[in-house]
Amino acid sequence: MDHSHHMEMSYMDHNSTMPPSHHHPTTSASHSHGGGDSNMMMMMPMTFYFGFKNVQLLFSGLVINTAGEMAGAFVAVFLLAMFYEGLKIARESLLRKSQVSIRYNSMPVPGPNGTILMETHKTVGQQMLSFPHLLQTVLHIIQVVISYFLMLIFMTYNGYLCIAVAAGAGTGYFLFSWKKAVVVDITEHCH
Amino acid sequence: MASMHFIFSDTVVLLFDFWSVHSPAGMALSVLVVLLLAVLYEGIKVGKAKLLHQVLVNLPTCISQQAIAETDGESAGSDSSPVSRTHHRWYLCHFGQSLIHVVQVVIGYFIMLAVMSYNTWIFLGVVLGSAVGYYLAYPLLSVA
Repeated sequence: MDHSHHMEMSYMDHNSTMPPSHHHPTTSASHSHGGGDSNMMMMMPMTFYFGFKNVQLLFSGLVINTAGEMAGAFVAVFLLAMFYEGLKIARESLLRKSQVSIRYNSMPVPGPNGTILMETHKTVGQQMLSFPHLLQTVLHIIQVVISYFLMLIFMTYNGYLCIAVAAGAGTGYFLFSWKKAVVVDITEHCH
Repeated sequence: MASMHFIFSDTVVLLFDFWSVHSPAGMALSVLVVLLLAVLYEGIKVGKAKLLHQVLVNLPTCISQQAIAETDGESAGSDSSPVSRTHHRWYLCHFGQSLIHVVQVVIGYFIMLAVMSYNTWIFLGVVLGSAVGYYLAYPLLSVA
């Protein structure tokens, strides 16, 4: 894998910020060379780069070619990362709120002197077919999909998009986890 | 596409253009760096939780009650400067926590990309680093 990387760099401009293109037949003639196996090597960049030309983002229709499109993609990825952090916090608070269903199991146990004592067990949980659990499941699926999207975005190795993911995660944590920390403080420290 | 299966190899390019490994010595050093990165990741996870707990313990107990009362619109007059000072401290601390969170997210993604190189030595370094980091850090969590 490493040798193909070096071969690719030999006919590409080292100072270029363009990532190796995915569609060789459609690029300019500067990439023309005798090798017919050019489509097989370096389909994905494997090191970080800063650039906004011909950046494929997640879906086959989404290709970034201009600085304006990169700015729009930056904002969109930023908001997606913020939404992911918010979804995590929202699911936690939803779980805490829905765990109000407490089941008591009472069973008689023999006590001293032959008396019968009632032992009470308390269990906190959700029923499988209850609405809160179904909602949690749907939100879990959404969270898993968004987390994989963020991973794939980071996998483009594009410096701008990676910074957008990190900044969005930090801002989302800052905005949403502050509320969560205050709520936790209420239940644990202020009686 | 680059090789999509695990290989044992002494050559790899990790994350950045300048981090290219050619020799067994370089590979051993890279595995050590990735191992320490995984240890740091586990440590940061525990450190964030401990920091939050320490802040909640050290700040005045009913800061959140006053915060809730203020957000209800019936804000008390600005006579309580100690309250605003502790609010300020709380916001600073939470901002610091957010920065730690960003570092944790970035390190997590870097480790993911390192594993994506499909080099078996690097992968074993990540796994070992996660195990060592978890082993060292998580007992500190239960003390709190």
